[in-house]
Order: sequence, then structure tokens, then C-alpha cells
Amino acid sequence: MAFKKDSFVGTMIFTVTLCLLCSFMITGTAELLKERKLVKKRDELKRNVLIAADVDIADKDFRAIFDKDVKSMLVSLDTGVVEANAGVLDFDERMAAINPETSSKLERKKDKAKIKTRADQARVFKVFDDNGTLTSVVVPIYGKGLWSMIYGYVALQSDFNTIENVVFYEHGETPGIGDFLNDPDWTDKWHGKQIFDANGKVSFKIVKGGAKAGDLHGVDAVSGATMTGRGVQRAVQFWFGAQGFEMFFNKLKASEG
Amino acid sequence: MSTQTASTRDILTSPIFSNNPVAMQVLGVCSALAVSNSMQTALVMTLAVTFVLVFSNLIISSIRSLIPNSVRIIAQMTIIASLVIIVDMVLQDIAYELSRQLSVFVGLIITNCIIMGRAEAFAMKNPPHLAVVDAIGNAMGYGVILLGVAFVRELLGSGTLFGHEILKTVENGGWYLANEMFKLPPSAFFLIGLMIWSINVIQRKRG
Repeated sequence: MAFKKDSFVGTMIFTVTLCLLCSFMITGTAELLKERKLVKKRDELKRNVLIAADVDIADKDFRAIFDKDVKSMLVSLDTGVVEANAGVLDFDERMAAINPETSSKLERKKDKAKIKTRADQARVFKVFDDNGTLTSVVVPIYGKGLWSMIYGYVALQSDFNTIENVVFYEHGETPGIGDFLNDPDWTDKWHGKQIFDANGKVSFKIVKGGAKAGDLHGVDAVSGATMTGRGVQRAVQFWFGAQGFEMFFNKLKASEG
Repeated sequence: MSTQTASTRDILTSPIFSNNPVAMQVLGVCSALAVSNSMQTALVMTLAVTFVLVFSNLIISSIRSLIPNSVRIIAQMTIIASLVIIVDMVLQDIAYELSRQLSVFVGLIITNCIIMGRAEAFAMKNPPHLAVVDAIGNAMGYGVILLGVAFVRELLGSGTLFGHEILKTVENGGWYLANEMFKLPPSAFFLIGLMIWSINVIQRKRG
């Protein structure tokens, strides 16, 4: 029997076959590119962590430096205990944060960074110098700015208080106004500022009108981008507070000093 | 046999100039305005459109006797959309920065009338080898306009070609004061308008 293309059955067979073939084509391509995408994601992570830790990677093989000098780990945010050392690079924080099994809902009052749910585990990167001494600890932070989630890494020096550097690698703030986040002139101002005050309270802030000289905790705000600055400040306050890495840093301070 | 080769050449060359899809049929202008501010984006866009156009024409022409009449537009759309998604994924993989500059316009190739138009008007009625020739011709016609506009816009707007400095701008200590208007989409309107006008004048002179 010949294939009657314009009959009802013929049309159905044709459309179903076409849809199947097209979806195979697309999933096939996606599958082929998957491994390369993962490698790219890892490279991106390595580069950002090293930049945050102020390691000079210009004209150098950052992958080798990362593998040699950086120890990555997965810590439980509630207890501060290191839970894994392997497979950390491929840990998907965004999936972990929305999966009810691996995250906890935040009460509105405690949800300073406006992220609604927080993953129970987070990545921490310890960076060592050539002698094997710990130079900095890099932790990921994120929080809502004016329009979008702002994602970044903050590196603390080995006193676990002074900021070494900061990187914001993804945001969707207003172009031309909120994108000072990527401006090295601005992120350089974070260097040497302290997160905690003498009582261990998170005191880091973004100061409108400019931080006073000698302000240990304040970084200048950028005019016109109040909400973006506020978002960044809250993200830092959240992630170094009780819901964030506080337990981890307490444990670290106790063991290192 | 001789008429066959002549018509093949005709299919290839006529869309480049005398029947240019952008200039003569005013199709696919949206993307031509948006991505023609630098040679690099224009070239990548042209390559992406060429890929989609050639394969959509090839596939649609090969199965044209099987496509039921009642769903033919949807069927064409499905094939084109799948090809565009593949191009988008590949582009993000090999040239991430460029694909960010092209942003939505790669995805919008789906709605580029040149591709739908060639599928419906040519590939549905002609054998695969002619359909491929037609696709290459139309893609080149699109590319000629896109690259021509991008050439003028990048040269006058930034003083560069493919990012290489040609006219030294005042900011870099040279003599050329870049005309910022050429960086904005309206300038592409003027340029495409001028191109349409000049092609029309030449056509008329030829009779």
C-alpha cells in the first residue's frame, strides 16, 4: 500500500516521525557538547577562584596553578563540617539550592540575600602558597540585586576576616549603571576591608556617599546603583552570617589558631 | 543539458544581486539591522544563516514528496527551528563571547523570512541539488548586504575592520573622529536604503 501523505493517518505518521527525528537531532548535539560544556564550566570556576584569591594567572596555566595550590571542599553550612573533598568542581550549587532534598527554606526575616531557599552544602576553596601555607579562603556568595541574582566569590585572608579580593562573575543589573560590579577599580576597594568587627558580628557594608578614610568595614557605594550596592551588602552579610559560612569559619578559626 | 547548467548558475547568482533577498525582497532586515555594527558579528551571522538555509532547503527538498499539504508550514518550521537550536548550541560552545554579542538574533534566525521563504517557494518544488544551490545563493545575497553594511558601519563608527585599527581614532591619539551614529541601528536603515536605491538604478540602466 502506498503512503498516502494527505490522509489523516499519513499526516499523523509524518508529524510524529518528523518530531522524533528533530528531537533526536537536538538531543544528540546537546549530548555531544555536554562534556565540553562541563570542562568550560570547570575552567571558569578555576579562573574565578584564582582571581578572587588574587593569584597572578596572567600568561600562566591557571588550571595547573589551581590543581596545585587550591584545595576544594564541600562543607555543611549548618554544622561547618567538611563533608566531601572529591567531585567538588562539578557540584551544582544552583540545582542543590532549589532541590527540596538538598536545601532548606529560609524564613523571610532571615533571608537577607532574598534567595528563598539555601543549599545545605556549599563549596569552599582553600588557597595555599608554594610553601603550603594557607593564604586565603574563597567562598561563593550570591544574592538579589535590583533585577537579578548577583553571583560572586569572596576571598578572605588567613585571619578569616580581612578581604583579599572579590569577583562577581554573573549578574543582570542595569547595563552601564549596575555593571560596576565587574570594574576592577571598584572591586579593588574591597581589599583589606574586614567582614567582622571585634565582637565577631558581620559589619561589612556598602556606604552611600563614600566610606570614611580608616573605615575598616565600609566600601564606597556607586551613585545611581543604590539597589545593586544594597544587594551586594546583604549578600555578604547573609553568607558570612549564621545562615551562611559562620559555623565553618568558627571551626576553622578554632583549628587554625 | 546546456539550459540546465545555465539555470543552475542563474539560481546561484540572481539572489546575490538582481534578486537580492534583503535589498530586493526586503526580507530578513531585522537581523541585518541588529548585527551589522561589526564585521565579526556580521560574518558569524552570515555563516549561521548559511548553515540553516542550506540544510533546511536540503532536508525539506528531499522529503518534499512526503510532506502532507495541510501541515507543510509547521513541518518546515520544525526543521528550521531544530537547525537553529543546533547552531545556537554549537556557537555557544565554540565562540561564547560572540554568541553573547549576537544574543537573541541567532534564535531569531527561525523567524528570518528568507529561510521560510526559500523553503516554501523553492525547496518544496525543486530537487535537492537545486535547492542547495538556491540556498547558497540566497545566503550569499544576505551575506553581501550584511557584510557591506557592517563594513561601512564598523569603519566609520569605530575606525576598525574585524577589530583591527584602520582609521586611528582621536581617543587613541589619531586623527579620525569616530561617527557614533554608525554604531546605532538606524544607520543600517540608511545604508540598506542606499544599497536598494543603487541596485535599482543599476538594474534600470541595464534594462
